[in-house]
Amino acid sequence: MADFINVTTLNRLAKNVLAQCEPLSNIVVCGEISGFTRHYKSGHLYFNLKDEASSVKSVMFRGQTRLLNFEPQNGMQVLAYGHATIYERDGAFQLYVDYMRPFGAGAAQMAFDALYKKLEGEGLFAQERKRPLPSMPHCIGVVTSKTGAAWQDVQNVIGRRWPLVRLLLAPVTVQGLEAEQSIISGIRALDRDERPDVILVTRGGGSKEDLWIFNSERIARAAAACRKPVVSAVGHEIDTTILDYVADLRAPTPSAAAELCVPDRAEFLQKISVLQENIQNNIQNRMQICYNKFMMVGVRQSMLQVQQGLVRRRQALGQAIQNMEGAQSQKVSQAERSLQAAAALAHSLNPYAVLARGYAIASREGEVRAVEELNPGDRITLYGARAEADCTVRSVRKIMQGSGNP
Amino acid sequence: MKQPKSFEEGMQRLQEVLSALQDETTPLAQSVKLYAEAANLIAYCKKTLDDAQLRIEEIDAELAQKTGENV
Repeated sequence: MADFINVTTLNRLAKNVLAQCEPLSNIVVCGEISGFTRHYKSGHLYFNLKDEASSVKSVMFRGQTRLLNFEPQNGMQVLAYGHATIYERDGAFQLYVDYMRPFGAGAAQMAFDALYKKLEGEGLFAQERKRPLPSMPHCIGVVTSKTGAAWQDVQNVIGRRWPLVRLLLAPVTVQGLEAEQSIISGIRALDRDERPDVILVTRGGGSKEDLWIFNSERIARAAAACRKPVVSAVGHEIDTTILDYVADLRAPTPSAAAELCVPDRAEFLQKISVLQENIQNNIQNRMQICYNKFMMVGVRQSMLQVQQGLVRRRQALGQAIQNMEGAQSQKVSQAERSLQAAAALAHSLNPYAVLARGYAIASREGEVRAVEELNPGDRITLYGARAEADCTVRSVRKIMQGSGNP
Repeated sequence: MKQPKSFEEGMQRLQEVLSALQDETTPLAQSVKLYAEAANLIAYCKKTLDDAQLRIEEIDAELAQKTGENV
């Protein structure tokens, strides 16, 4: 009987013994990472987990690293999920890690800071990358848990503010191991879908650990790769995740995100009534102006008519005055002429003028008498131009017509 | 008068109508026509806002993932 065994058998034996030990097959180990390397070719992670007194070799295969949502670093406290056994080739006791997450505030912050630095260095947080949200989205893609309060909040707020929009829900798991892949799938599916014009990734408040998933590098990269603007709203105001930095818009809460995504119906009704008032006033002004213009034209027209009437009447009046004056002066001159003629005639007929030439007028009892009216014995006065003579008629003889003058 | 296809189109047209109404070179007859159109647009936009009902659909991300992409 051989009193020795070979190394391979030893290691196998140890491994088999360890395999009997139930707790080792499914353990969670808390420790600090040291001697961390990522194998350049295989992509496997090799490191030691240590505490104050001890350390253990650890390995995480590439397939598992896909689930990591932080960058492991030396000095970081982590919780490592996996099993421990002997690596037969080296006889090394090793921890095979399936999943890891930062442990404690310090480690979590470290992981966060490291990822922040890395993504910021790549320019993923740059302001220039931020795209504006559509002012009136037709469809909003929502990545969230179907049973969560966030989804209720989003529906309530949008239903009240802007029910014109359509919500396209990509129901995802927001907690646990599958959450990361689920959220990534949701984001990608909504980005690929034709319908949404903005994507909202949200979940309600929770513990820091609950929200930690939104610090995932892969979720951040999925959001950054979206063709459509991404809005993030994780937890409460105070919770800021890596996703918030990558998103085109960060909202403090799911309700706030819903508000930021859509316009306000009440505001629009107000806007419409202002527009309506404007249009009303405008058309009224317009009509008033036209009416005024029409009135002005009317007034001018009638004034013109009145003026024309005045001119016509003034002319007629002038003509009448002229006519009247003409007629007047004609009459006057005619009268003057006939007066002159009459005066001349009167002058020529003046009997006293004849006396100057030596004729005399016979007058009886103060009245001028023709000679044939005289009777013998009448006492008459003879008037000459420069003297008068009282006479007594001795006889009266008739003179034969045509027998000549005495 | 043609009905707008969407609320946005209605609002946009409403703004255009207002600008046209504010333009003093628009003839009065045209203004009156625009006014009638505006009244119609306002009624449409108000009704759209008042009657709107939130529509909700769902997408199966896992399925979309499998059919659309290989990760």
